[in-house]
Amino acid sequence: MRIEAQLTTERIVPPNISGLGPDGGIGALAEFSGVVRGEEDGRTITALEYEAYHGMALAVMRKLLEQLGQHHPCTGVWVIHRVGVVPVGEAAIWIGVAASHRREAFALLAEFMDQLKQDVPIWKRRALFAPATDTAAGPTP
Amino acid sequence: MTEDSGMRILFFAQLKDATGREEIRWPETGPLTAADIWARLEREWPAVTVHRRTTRLARNGEYARPDEVFLAGDEVALIPPVSGG
Repeated sequence: MRIEAQLTTERIVPPNISGLGPDGGIGALAEFSGVVRGEEDGRTITALEYEAYHGMALAVMRKLLEQLGQHHPCTGVWVIHRVGVVPVGEAAIWIGVAASHRREAFALLAEFMDQLKQDVPIWKRRALFAPATDTAAGPTP
Repeated sequence: MTEDSGMRILFFAQLKDATGREEIRWPETGPLTAADIWARLEREWPAVTVHRRTTRLARNGEYARPDEVFLAGDEVALIPPVSGG
């Protein structure tokens, strides 16, 4: 199974995953984007900031994908995780899976996301909050 | 003493806040257990104690076993609960 994993500080541009496998061998292309929501702990936010232990994060992602590929044989998987400040509405993570059949692609994708949230050393570091709109709440200089 | 004789300790997320550091180096360190590392960290930064139960140690980019021995030249990372995705 071909595995591509990367971290980026730039906005994620999903690649064309149809090229992950041999022509005619792919029957399923599954994609997932995890997008930053505009709310955190009941407050409106403008962005989330992510931090990673780069080398280990990439190594753990690759190892997890290799292990999952043993149970759910797929042709290829491509993972891009963003780090740094990610504005609301933009993807913090994008995953593309190419497989012969949909069942393996869905299973690998879902299990990888579960494992990522347990073992891959990446953190939501802090939320950036929108400025308060209620000007009566505090004095103005 | 060479650079390799020291142990590099990396802090992330809450541990970075607790220590105010991204990384430190312990020069001329002999073999250490996880308990040795935590004891030394807690002496210097008592604020790390609250994170000890939930923080895993990594040695040279891999999660450490409970009985792992950390050696001079190692890169040790403190990994608090992750929250990627």
